[in-house]
Amino acid sequence: MGEPTPSRSNPTSVNVCILLGMGVFLACICFVSLGWAQIAKAGPPATKLYVESQQAMGTVFTIYLYAGNDEQAGALFGSAFEEIERLDQTLSNYKADSELSRINRLAGHEAVTTDPEMFSLLQTCLEYSKRSGGTFDITVGPLMRACGFFRGQGRYPAPWQLDRARGKVGWQKVQLDASARTIHFAVEGMELDLGGIGKGYAVDRVIGQLRAAGVKAAMVDAGSSTIYALGAPPGKDGWLVRVPKPGNRSQTISTVVLRDESLSTSGSYEKFFRLNGRTYCHIMDPRTGEPVEGMLQATVIAADGTTTEALSKPMFVMGTEEGAKYLARFPYVSGLWVTGEIRAPRVVPWNWPGCEGDCGETLADIGERKAKAQ
Amino acid sequence: MSEMDRRTFVGNAAGALAGALLVAGCKESTKNLVPGGPQVRLGVIGAGSRGQELMRTFLRVPGVRFAGLCDVYEPRFAAAREITREETPIFRDYRELLAAKEVDAVVVATPLSFHAEHVIAALESGRHVYGEKSMAKTVEECDRIVETVQRTGKHYQVGVQYHYATWYRETLRHIREGKLGQITQIYAYWHRNSNWRRPVPDPHDAKLERLINWRMYKEYSLGLMAELGSHHIAFANEIFGGMPESVVGSGGIDYWKDGRETYDNVQVTYRYPGGKTLCFSAITSNAHEGAQIRVYGTEGTAVLTEADGVLFYEAKKLKASAVTKVLIDHGIVTGASYMPEMPYRGKGEAVPVPEDVEGNANYLACESFVKSVIGGQRPEANEQVGRAEAVAVALGNQAIEEGKRIWFRDFVREGVGA
Repeated sequence: MGEPTPSRSNPTSVNVCILLGMGVFLACICFVSLGWAQIAKAGPPATKLYVESQQAMGTVFTIYLYAGNDEQAGALFGSAFEEIERLDQTLSNYKADSELSRINRLAGHEAVTTDPEMFSLLQTCLEYSKRSGGTFDITVGPLMRACGFFRGQGRYPAPWQLDRARGKVGWQKVQLDASARTIHFAVEGMELDLGGIGKGYAVDRVIGQLRAAGVKAAMVDAGSSTIYALGAPPGKDGWLVRVPKPGNRSQTISTVVLRDESLSTSGSYEKFFRLNGRTYCHIMDPRTGEPVEGMLQATVIAADGTTTEALSKPMFVMGTEEGAKYLARFPYVSGLWVTGEIRAPRVVPWNWPGCEGDCGETLADIGERKAKAQ
Repeated sequence: MSEMDRRTFVGNAAGALAGALLVAGCKESTKNLVPGGPQVRLGVIGAGSRGQELMRTFLRVPGVRFAGLCDVYEPRFAAAREITREETPIFRDYRELLAAKEVDAVVVATPLSFHAEHVIAALESGRHVYGEKSMAKTVEECDRIVETVQRTGKHYQVGVQYHYATWYRETLRHIREGKLGQITQIYAYWHRNSNWRRPVPDPHDAKLERLINWRMYKEYSLGLMAELGSHHIAFANEIFGGMPESVVGSGGIDYWKDGRETYDNVQVTYRYPGGKTLCFSAITSNAHEGAQIRVYGTEGTAVLTEADGVLFYEAKKLKASAVTKVLIDHGIVTGASYMPEMPYRGKGEAVPVPEDVEGNANYLACESFVKSVIGGQRPEANEQVGRAEAVAVALGNQAIEEGKRIWFRDFVREGVGA
């Protein structure tokens, strides 16, 4: 355990491939050097590990970085958290004065002009929706609310309620005009929620800053669901990230070594409910409005945080077989599912670098077993 | 000028300003800007942190494009182009930007000491200007900007964006309707717990340190008074109807002894005509108070933050009531007297904000400027608002430095913008 698999060993080419694949990403990922760039290039060698946390985007962001002294670390943290706060202030759907809230209030009535960064991020979202067959969908808010998941009520809505909510949901109803940089909702009452991508985007922006500042080793953790590891701690191959057993964070399924790549996890084990003898989780399939059944956790590794965060929920919703086919469409991606019941979870890896002990059946194993049975 | 004349003048000027503000406030709102409508090509002089934030915000207003970026620090061009996501023309000298035909209006977000030079040159070149606060560093520079605006007929809007915030407008309406009684005091805080520095790529490069951390150096900056106080002072001016008449203050470099020249904490008390007071405090070693304005009236209090406003009403005075016979027959009980005078800890009422006004304070300010450029109407946060704010900042800072009361009549020239 410890060596990154060959398929993930070339982060530069990963970036290039994803860029070519997604096109619209270019501007998001290619972070240009800011005025304070090169901070870590001057001064003493970066041998001390610093850590700082701050609340943002409904979770806690933690940044670990190697710097030469307190002053340098303080300057890096200061700029990084300022950027996270800026993005929270822009992308939040809770803050009434965010740019996203302005779009949500107006776009049902008129075409709303927004800035290039926001526009580009929305383009990226729709691209993911299209590619994922709608399992990634930033318009799903009204349906989520109808299902009572927002307040964790665990109540199941009446069919007419679902139908009404479905009318206000659907990425195809978001109209983007690149020449005018406008967003327009085809129907009133729609709203966008960037909760499935915003943290990853913020992680990428911060990583871009740290890289431009000359930082050689850092890790940015957005509430443990999206993590990016920049370089490696001195003398190490990379940063260790443990994938826990669902429902028990002290037990580890897999420990991976991340280096210049990101990992995201979607999980539902903390918020599931039982109804008529079946277990439902709070993650919903945007295509049907039904809660996902029988899935506990999905983890994905890819080149950047925007990608991993945008892939993790579709992976969860699609399940192992459809999900693996989806992941296969992206270069240099690894996935790990945990399915079944919390008491008897089943681990299903796909192109995964390694697990503690037994990684469980791979998809290939499952296929083989099924073939033999027939 | 005799003592009496001076007093009369300051009073009149304040009255005239209040009138101008009222007129501006009543002006009918212009038609909403829509995509595909008129285009406005902006040039930005000073594409640092604030300049970049303004660029992002302006780009949310329909019809806006950036046609020129000017800065003296090379890495900012790439950062600013990352915001426009196009190859926006760059200029290393602001005169070259002003010579570019493609620029319709100019945003000035340079260090304070350069505001007057850049704003005046932009106005003289025939452009409307959105200028960052504080309007200018000295009283004389403020006067020159006002004179230039009047001579050129071009618009100037000062970057006190809370002037456009819905909860500020609504609070002001409550105040003018007398809901808070007579406003006698405003206590305004901007308290932070940070060194207020920006990271410098090479801390040993003194020139770069001064360029990036210009707010720390007296040559460029009036420190916390200008960078934070100007917002609160502008609002107090609006409530009290003009400039203060005197100011006392104190301040020092007491916690962050890191080579800075501007104070790391300031406390000033402005007196306005008619016995009204603004106390402003900015500190950098405790963030408990955050940024807030407390407007105290005889009937109630308004607390305004960067995101909302809350109204509190004073407890009703007890009314006289009939006394029962028991009291006469049994008397009252004597003992040690103690009644703590506690601060009010009840809930307030949120300042209601109109639902049809969309966007945060920055957006509304930027949108309003673009409307002025297209429609030709005078900005609400215009050069008079800027002058009143900037003069108070400059004289407040002077009061701290000289350690004595400064009378505005001794420095404020007659007839400017009259």
